[in-house]
Amino acid sequence: MPRFFLHIDDGTQRIEDEEGSELPDLAAAHEEALAAARQFWAAAILRQQDIGSRRFVISDDEGTVLDTVEMDEALPRDLRDRLQGR
Amino acid sequence: MIYKNRLLRTLSPDDQDVLRPHLRWSSLERGTVLVAPNEPIEHVWFLESGMSSIIAISGGDQGIEVGLAGRDGFVGMPLVLDADRTPHRIFMQIAGACYSMGSDVFRQVMDEHAGIRKLLLRYVQAYSTQTTYTALSNAMHTIEERLARWLLMSHDRQDEDEIALTHDFLALMLGVRRPSVTIALHSLEGLGFIKATRGQVTIRRREALEEFAGSAYGVPEAEYQRLIGQLR
Repeated sequence: MPRFFLHIDDGTQRIEDEEGSELPDLAAAHEEALAAARQFWAAAILRQQDIGSRRFVISDDEGTVLDTVEMDEALPRDLRDRLQGR
Repeated sequence: MIYKNRLLRTLSPDDQDVLRPHLRWSSLERGTVLVAPNEPIEHVWFLESGMSSIIAISGGDQGIEVGLAGRDGFVGMPLVLDADRTPHRIFMQIAGACYSMGSDVFRQVMDEHAGIRKLLLRYVQAYSTQTTYTALSNAMHTIEERLARWLLMSHDRQDEDEIALTHDFLALMLGVRRPSVTIALHSLEGLGFIKATRGQVTIRRREALEEFAGSAYGVPEAEYQRLIGQLR
């Protein structure tokens, strides 16, 4: 299985994923980032913190960026729609 | 013979003499399964170094760490409680060494020597306190606080400041996604408490880490000290 690295970019700095995860494909890496983003949101809401400016940057083991996942993508769809409608 | 295992070390010289002929030294690699779920326990293990993890299994290969035991204790607690098996899985998460003995002779020794039995039962009480505080932490503390607690507990059970572990592994221990471990390590590192490198965490400022962990750390450790003796 290929190894994917899920770095976290908050606009000012990038927190490197040094170890990476073995996952079947890029779609699985995208799902993993979404699941982690939901966990981040859960912690952020408890702290009354907005982490909407963060994103995951997914790369392969050579550092090539394959995908980015915005934190907002992990929010429930109706909540996202409601926020956008404002 | 000076044992590193706190229980073997705490026994009276007479009780140590009772156990000594039955104890076999061996090294244990990371990942070695000491107790398989729902199977008769055939050996008890007194760790001299390294650390074992007690995992509550939730279907398939999912699970979460509910307790840990290193040189502070022993593995095979159900035998002291008149049970021959457990639904938990216990394996080595940090490689080390141990003295082990067969469960039949262990039961016999327990029946005949109250001093040994009482010490091991007091350890079961100390361990039980640890797991109840793990439950408390899982419900009440942030991932950062739980990570701090876990690092302190590991540090208590070894001499070195470097703890060998991967993010994958910490994710299993804390029951979170791996990126949550990455972020939590980054926060503790940003505060200057630890240094995280690939596959290793180095404790830099232990006292500050304890202060950060707050109520997530300390009660089970004090209970251990009261019941058994010095932990670290």
